[in-house]
Amino acid sequence: MRRAHLLGLGFLSPALVIIVMLFLVPVLLTVMFSFTNMSTATGISGGAYEINSASLRKLADAGAQESFLDALGQEAFVVDDAGITAVAAAYGEQFANEIGSQMLGERFTSRRDLERAFRKLKSRPRSTRDIKKAADLFKRSVLNVRFETADGLVGAVTGNGIAMTPDQQELLTRTIYTGWSWTTDNFALMTQIPYIWRVAGNTVMYVVLTLSVSVGLGLFLAITTFYLPSLPAASFRAIWFLPRILPNVIFVLMWKWLAWDTGFISSFLANFGVAPRNWMLDTDIHAWVFIVLINGMVGASLGMILFGSAIKAIPQPMLYASEVDGASRWQQIRYIILPQLRWPIMFICAYSTLSLMTSFEYILLSTDGGPGGATEVWSLMAFHTALDNYAGNLQYGLGAAMALVLVIVGILASLVYLRIFNFNDLVAKPRIEQ
Amino acid sequence: MMSSNFRAWPLFLLLTVLSLPLVTMYVYLFVDTVTDTTAGSLIPDRFTLQHWRFLWEAPETGRVSIWTVTLNTFVFAICTTLVNVSASVTAGYALSRLNMPFKRFFLGGILTLHAFPTITLIISIFLILQMIGLYNTLIGVILVKTALELPFGIWIMKGFFDNVPWEIEMAGLQDGASRFTVWWKLVLPQVQPGIAALAVFVFLSAWSEFILPQVLAPSGSAQVLSTYLSNLIFDDVKPDFNMFKSVGVFYALPVIVIYLIFNRQLMNIYGGGTKG
Repeated sequence: MRRAHLLGLGFLSPALVIIVMLFLVPVLLTVMFSFTNMSTATGISGGAYEINSASLRKLADAGAQESFLDALGQEAFVVDDAGITAVAAAYGEQFANEIGSQMLGERFTSRRDLERAFRKLKSRPRSTRDIKKAADLFKRSVLNVRFETADGLVGAVTGNGIAMTPDQQELLTRTIYTGWSWTTDNFALMTQIPYIWRVAGNTVMYVVLTLSVSVGLGLFLAITTFYLPSLPAASFRAIWFLPRILPNVIFVLMWKWLAWDTGFISSFLANFGVAPRNWMLDTDIHAWVFIVLINGMVGASLGMILFGSAIKAIPQPMLYASEVDGASRWQQIRYIILPQLRWPIMFICAYSTLSLMTSFEYILLSTDGGPGGATEVWSLMAFHTALDNYAGNLQYGLGAAMALVLVIVGILASLVYLRIFNFNDLVAKPRIEQ
Repeated sequence: MMSSNFRAWPLFLLLTVLSLPLVTMYVYLFVDTVTDTTAGSLIPDRFTLQHWRFLWEAPETGRVSIWTVTLNTFVFAICTTLVNVSASVTAGYALSRLNMPFKRFFLGGILTLHAFPTITLIISIFLILQMIGLYNTLIGVILVKTALELPFGIWIMKGFFDNVPWEIEMAGLQDGASRFTVWWKLVLPQVQPGIAALAVFVFLSAWSEFILPQVLAPSGSAQVLSTYLSNLIFDDVKPDFNMFKSVGVFYALPVIVIYLIFNRQLMNIYGGGTKG
């Protein structure tokens, strides 16, 4: 590789490392997570296998046979080497050897049966209590024991004398695992959510309405301030630029103050005998009006600046000439200014569609999807599912699947935009070869 | 000069009416922080400083002092700005001027990422930070914010480097300087306005950031002003808007100061920055 190449890659590498770590890896992991059932309950690291009353119930729900469940739940008495060693320590080698030679591998379903078998041996302890205690040393149960691996669990269950068909074994290990596992169910689950289509519709409505307000208001502001003398024009631009740079928490706070039941609108209308209420959240329509206005004004700020600088690029003589020719202001706008704005308008539409579809900060802060889910949009639903819900069980896997839909749309749209906005013009060949 | 088509007063009137709600909100945002208003009235009737008491009173139990939070916010915004600007300046130069394999691919990638809506990645970033142990730390949020703003920064800096005349570099090379020295001594001074504009932009963006700290570092010790204010608003059953607004104005002060100083540059970078 040439030296110049090394310099280039070296210059690029810090940025490359950061972008790969926290940009590309998250994209890939979103795909990965969306094929898991990760949630608060499963945790995000590994899990374990344990049969207890809760997991037995889960097994029953998953359709395990009654007899299988009974066998799992029961304790059994199995004459194995571990038990014999324990007996040797407590009651002497002789008794242990006798058990080993005569009964090794036998299985009893109750302690009484095992005791009865012990009584037939010559070297058994004298007292009944000791026999009972010795029998207890052979008690084996898989209940409430934690196994780190599926093989450990299966080994313990079969070692306990419980025969399993391969189907049962699969069902058991899958059902009682406490960690997360791979699954493709998330996408099916998603389509089964009853309000999913409403959310999808909300998203489209939100993008269309907000975009119309942004572009319309942005155009209006850019054109009107263009026709004003410079001082008032600058003041109006300052007023309308602030929504863009004010932190969103504060911008929404101002709107909340405007709309709250103790706020400005309520106090103002009280003079006319209207009862105070929360104007932002009292009806679906009000919530929508506020959502669109809040987001639309932020968008209009950007639009005003972009359109404004495009209008400024129009040669002044062209406008004066049109006036001499008797063009009205409306004709000026229609035939000179608007054609100049074709690209900026297209750009804003492309850029904002994507960012509106996926951003939810202003909605989260103002209505949080309310009232009653009326303003819930797709990205907010993913956020609520995975990171913030009242039920407390955060479903990372399902949320990631919802986000994946947006990620895919995002990537496709970005690639299309790359085509439209003439990528080739942007790549210049270096003129120094060194 | 003043032709009929540029006649101003009807437009002026129209714009004034349209701007009235916004202006009302701005005015009350400031006025309410130092006044009290009788319930049901719209006109404030007495002066008070008690809405600002959060600045000098000890915080309620379970809350962090506003000064700790402010310090956190500064650390967050400044670190993000520094890392972002350094990485953008080098990468922007590489993409603008240097020869390297896969250049078109990198450039296309950066541009795609720039248009790509980053907020959709928040779920997996949340899980990644938990796995590598950076959840609930300021470092984690700084890295994530830097990464998400980086494509924009690189793109902007590439644009500024593109406008530096090649002759400057060629002259430096003729005189025997290395490519690195040329970049450091000759090219960087040329793009200083660009670096300043990007720094201001990234600082403001980090200062205003809400979702990332809210999701990735919600605990008290790593709180920043945006999450502090939103927690205040969400927690309260009976909203004390005067106090919220005081915290809000306190939070917005650096933004307003920066806006007043860098007005023109900001409009430029917000307007031109998103082009392409």
